Amino acid sequence: MTSPTPQPPTTPPSTGTVQTTDAPPAADAPGAYRETRIERAIGRGLAGVTARALAPYQTAVIRIGFAGTWLLFLLREWPHRQQLYGPAGPFDFGMARQLLDGNHALSVLVWSDGRGWFECVYFLAIAASALLMLGWRTRTMSVLFMIGVLSLQNRSVFIGDGGDNVIHLMSMYLVLTRCGQVWSLDARRARRAAARPAEDGAAPPRDVTGIVLWAALGLALAVAQLQGAAGLTWFGHGPFPHFGWSLALWGLWAAHGLWWAAQRYAPGEPRTVLDTLATLAHNAVLLVIMVEVCLVYATAGWYKIQGSRWQDGTAVFYPMHLDYFSPWPGLSHLLGGNGLMVMLITYGTVIVQVAFPFTLFNRRLKNVLLVAMICEHLSIAVLLGLPFFSLAMITADAVFLPTNFLTWLGGRLSHLRGRLFPGTGTAGPEAASGEGPPEGAARSGGDGHTLVG
Amino acid sequence: MRTGNGAGMQSYGDETRPLAALSLPSRIVIGTAASAIAVAALIHLAMMFLHVAPSNTLSKQQSGLISDYVYPEYEQNWKLFAPNPLQQNTDVQVRAQLRTPDGTSRTTDWTDLTARDGQAILHNPLPSHTQQNQLRRGWELLSSTLDAQNRPSGDRGEMFARYLRRIAMLRMSGEWTKNGDRVAEIQFRSRTTAVLPPPWSAEKVSDKPVYRVLPWWQITASELPEGATNK
Repeated sequence: MTSPTPQPPTTPPSTGTVQTTDAPPAADAPGAYRETRIERAIGRGLAGVTARALAPYQTAVIRIGFAGTWLLFLLREWPHRQQLYGPAGPFDFGMARQLLDGNHALSVLVWSDGRGWFECVYFLAIAASALLMLGWRTRTMSVLFMIGVLSLQNRSVFIGDGGDNVIHLMSMYLVLTRCGQVWSLDARRARRAAARPAEDGAAPPRDVTGIVLWAALGLALAVAQLQGAAGLTWFGHGPFPHFGWSLALWGLWAAHGLWWAAQRYAPGEPRTVLDTLATLAHNAVLLVIMVEVCLVYATAGWYKIQGSRWQDGTAVFYPMHLDYFSPWPGLSHLLGGNGLMVMLITYGTVIVQVAFPFTLFNRRLKNVLLVAMICEHLSIAVLLGLPFFSLAMITADAVFLPTNFLTWLGGRLSHLRGRLFPGTGTAGPEAASGEGPPEGAARSGGDGHTLVG
Repeated sequence: MRTGNGAGMQSYGDETRPLAALSLPSRIVIGTAASAIAVAALIHLAMMFLHVAPSNTLSKQQSGLISDYVYPEYEQNWKLFAPNPLQQNTDVQVRAQLRTPDGTSRTTDWTDLTARDGQAILHNPLPSHTQQNQLRRGWELLSSTLDAQNRPSGDRGEMFARYLRRIAMLRMSGEWTKNGDRVAEIQFRSRTTAVLPPPWSAEKVSDKPVYRVLPWWQITASELPEGATNK
């Protein structure tokens, strides 16, 4: 009775579990003590959010999606990079400095007005996006990716749009998730290491690359800190109130070192504790990401309801006739010429956006709405000429895609790759599609049937 | 309740160990961390909600707390085409006063920078932020700081005015100075035209453009972004 072992899918939704974990675990009850239902629920919830990092496929998809979107954007803007973010562009170094002195946002681009520094940062932002997409040293790359996104966007905040805004938020959230559990080079490396026959008494490989990367980044941060670089404060103007960027970055760096040391020298309980803490952070941030996506749709929908054009069914007509958002006027006019069609799309948009958060409680309905929203964003990409915004929004939607679909997709993609590049077969995500984790990993946890199931 | 690490999963630790098997200090650490993380996540979500929701009793009461938390890194706005989509096209136009090499001055015709953006976006599957956002957002920001005399007000207004001058010089200085002329001053105006209501609507909207003309602004050496010339 003290250890109810529920079927994974019956654990309560994570909204509940995270809230209820405020109380310390009530698990270690003495023999005669009967747990109340609430205590059992708390125990189950705590077990659910500490046992494993939930939704491995969904977090992998958003990692690939956001990193890929930002990578494509940076490559597309390569010819315009000086004009958008460079020290001698229309929004020049002095103006950027003035802006950031006022709002205290983080950007390494104001550390120097040299052109070389700018090129270096832009290139590193591209490299970090590519490596995060591939899942190479995922956690480290997620930090570098975040620094790249924040540095470029915060410096030139006036050229961004909604797509940039989504990537900005998600780049920070991704840092605290274990988004490289599947479909990553890290996962492949781990799989190969596990497949290697264990030699008795042999220490695990030293991981020279990891140590070098960690030491180099620590050195870089130390140099920046000693130079008094703008934005690196300990107790202010950071990601949270009274929690500066120095504290955040050094904390991540130290935690990474601690994790490595625990794995190597203390593989027992210390490692389990650290692992559980990382899992907790992952699951909490996963919840934050999901709620954030709901907030985007909820507010987009609620504000639309107040608008007369969304009420009279003509709203969709107008953006298609704005010069800045009609790359294909012929197509726009064709679609905008039919009053009934315009009304249906207008009402449909509002209904889908307002309803979306509530449909998460019904798996089938949620999936139907996801398809509708992804289709709408695909058409926005073309009709309104907003491909990067749409790609970012589709990625955000993808956090709610069902695991079955994702593993099926992964299987198809690796099958395709196997046919295109024979000989690279063993490496990819395909190995993931067969084994236990898909069912257990993503369905089990909190979100069960509805959110990610 | 765990079936172990499948081959596809990246292994992190000894995840098969249930919490109850850990020592008391470990359980205290995990319990404390779980509580702290849960509280942090809830505070974060509450702040995000209050930031994006319409101004309400609570967000008015706690506006200082909320903006301390949200700005600068969590700022967001999801009023996408809402409450109503934009129903007008605003064209930003610019002209210059040139000093010719023989010392006389002449004024150029108006150039419609927005129309050029539109041309660049037309049939372009991947419009650049330089074509879609730079001038459009720059003008929105500047016009929001203009006073009744169409002069920019405040530090921000000055910054946006300078930003606009630099955008214009980047785009136009090559054309204006190609005969050896020098740009002395430039002037902006906007032409706003309503998008006509759909053909099936009985609404009547004037299609007459509305102009907003800004004062002449001097061009100094500091108004030249990389790629612009003004001998």
